[in-house]
Amino acid sequence: MAMDVIDYEIFGSEMQYVEVELDPGESAVGEAGGMMYMQDGIQMDTVFGDGSQQQGGFMGKLMGAGKRLLTGESLFTTVFHNESNGKRRVAFAAPYPGKIIPVHLTDIGGTLICQKDSFLCAAKGVSLGIAFQKKLGVGLFGGEGFIMQKLDGDGMAFVHAGGTLKEMVLAPGESLRVDTGCVVAFQPSVDFDIQFVGKIKSAVFGGEGFFYATLTGPGRVWLQSLPLSRLANRIILSAPAAGGRSVGQGSLLGAGVLGGILGSDE
Amino acid sequence: MSDTRFRGRLFGPGLPGSGAPATGRWSDGGSLQVAEEGAAGRLLQADHPAVDAAGFNASSLRISWQGEDGAYAFIIEAESERTICCAAAPAAANRHLAEAAGVTTRLERRFRFGAVLLGLILILPLFGIGLFLGNSDRVADWVVKRISTEHEAQLGELILAQTRLQMKVVDRGPAVEAISAIGSRLTTGSVHRYRWFVADRPDINAFAAPGGVVVVYSGLIRTAGSAEELAGVLTHEIAHAELRHTLRGVIKSLGLHALAALVIGDVSGSVFAETATRLTELRFSRDAEREADAEGLRRLVAAHIDPAGMIGFYEKLAAEQRLSPPAILSTHPATGERLESLRQEVSLQKGKWQPLPVDIQSIKNSFK
Ligand SMILES: [Zn+2]
Repeated sequence: MAMDVIDYEIFGSEMQYVEVELDPGESAVGEAGGMMYMQDGIQMDTVFGDGSQQQGGFMGKLMGAGKRLLTGESLFTTVFHNESNGKRRVAFAAPYPGKIIPVHLTDIGGTLICQKDSFLCAAKGVSLGIAFQKKLGVGLFGGEGFIMQKLDGDGMAFVHAGGTLKEMVLAPGESLRVDTGCVVAFQPSVDFDIQFVGKIKSAVFGGEGFFYATLTGPGRVWLQSLPLSRLANRIILSAPAAGGRSVGQGSLLGAGVLGGILGSDE
Repeated sequence: MSDTRFRGRLFGPGLPGSGAPATGRWSDGGSLQVAEEGAAGRLLQADHPAVDAAGFNASSLRISWQGEDGAYAFIIEAESERTICCAAAPAAANRHLAEAAGVTTRLERRFRFGAVLLGLILILPLFGIGLFLGNSDRVADWVVKRISTEHEAQLGELILAQTRLQMKVVDRGPAVEAISAIGSRLTTGSVHRYRWFVADRPDINAFAAPGGVVVVYSGLIRTAGSAEELAGVLTHEIAHAELRHTLRGVIKSLGLHALAALVIGDVSGSVFAETATRLTELRFSRDAEREADAEGLRRLVAAHIDPAGMIGFYEKLAAEQRLSPPAILSTHPATGERLESLRQEVSLQKGKWQPLPVDIQSIKNSFK
């Protein structure tokens, strides 16, 4: 499928938005809530799935919907289509302070794995998929890093990093340990493994210990200094009404229990 | 040298950080030749490369080696290219390639197992509810059989306390005396110690809690045309209690609430209180109603009370239903069919009826 080549410009420094220029007939896809403004002549169309292709049959659509529900994404994506005869612009704004990362998928081999809430927008034809972290390790279902988003195609994609962005290149065999929440995106050639530091007991009953990811090269990785979950935690903790309960790094079922059943990779 | 080529991405010193597209091919001796794509592309030779599964979810094949200027890696991500690479590989590299493929497969298999396990853990409570809903009658029967008369009486006491919170319940006065007089004739020889109450409520209703607590609403007494009619309703309610229908209903409803609480995670004492409060809303099954009718009739006949009163009261209920359904009908569905079969049963009864020594009119007057 031919991708739409889009020109873009990023505005702002800490609270950024990206303005995408669409030639006549070109389209961009984005989450419905991410749009900031659009010029006359751009039609918004809500489609089931990611609008990249017609998923095969009813079951395919159902599976796609199930996956999107699982990751907490909306079931529909919005396609912004330029129906006019001239160039038109549509802008998407970052939802919290940070940097917008433009990635030309062709340059990195056609696939980008990113944190599920970091996707902002892309050229139409880029498919938005789910990628589960299958190397369960002890940190199974440890919230962040378990469900990732996979962008496939050869067009432009824009993802958002919270806080300050750190882009790194890992040489073959070079590895880096990162808090799971701080990983924004990486190439699929990068080995991504989640581990739990601390005692299993404290993983189940809360307490010290945290999850970290080991990224092993080769490939390019993008890190963020302020994961949304960290920001949210601080806000919840300081909100007078909330009882001060931390979310995000906790686990769905008590990481240790299932991790123990399934065994670690080590 | 093999002519089969496979595409991948080459990483290493002097190459773009995100790798460069390249093609590889095996030599017969087990060394790998990798050519960077493009006119100025470099040509690299790896004599004894290491082979393993790597990348996100170990789904790529990594062929890596140490060059003079640093570490290099040739990553083959696409499944079709991996297949080509493995097929063309010389014997020396075969074992490592097979091991790498094994790692990828094992990871996938273990992930699926984990997903199924998680699915089961999440679905199990729902499955439990389904099982209970499907077999709730049998489960309730099993529990009912294991409840002693003493416990049943305690349960009745609790329900009475709950009822007292909701409405004015009296245990003396002409109405209670009359009901007690009729009721004791219907319950001779029962294991329960029956206690009779009248609730000051306008609805046409009555219920028998487990353990012999019988509550009749004043609205029902007002509707009754004779003491025999009153006896007709009373015997039906007593039958429900004696046959432990009420107990069974409470247990079923408790079980459901408890299961729901277990799933939702709210295991507080409120579950029981709520069930007890809803006793007047318990619906009996058609079979239970038929059973209660038959048992009620048997008790009437045994007590030498004219069963025509039972029919009479049911007819009154049916007539009331056309205007506005009395409360008692929402819990004891009275169908025309039930009334018809009861008429037939009653017509077969030829006993010597002793009139009840109760003046229904003076009781009604006592309410004013
Ligand atoms: Zn009944």
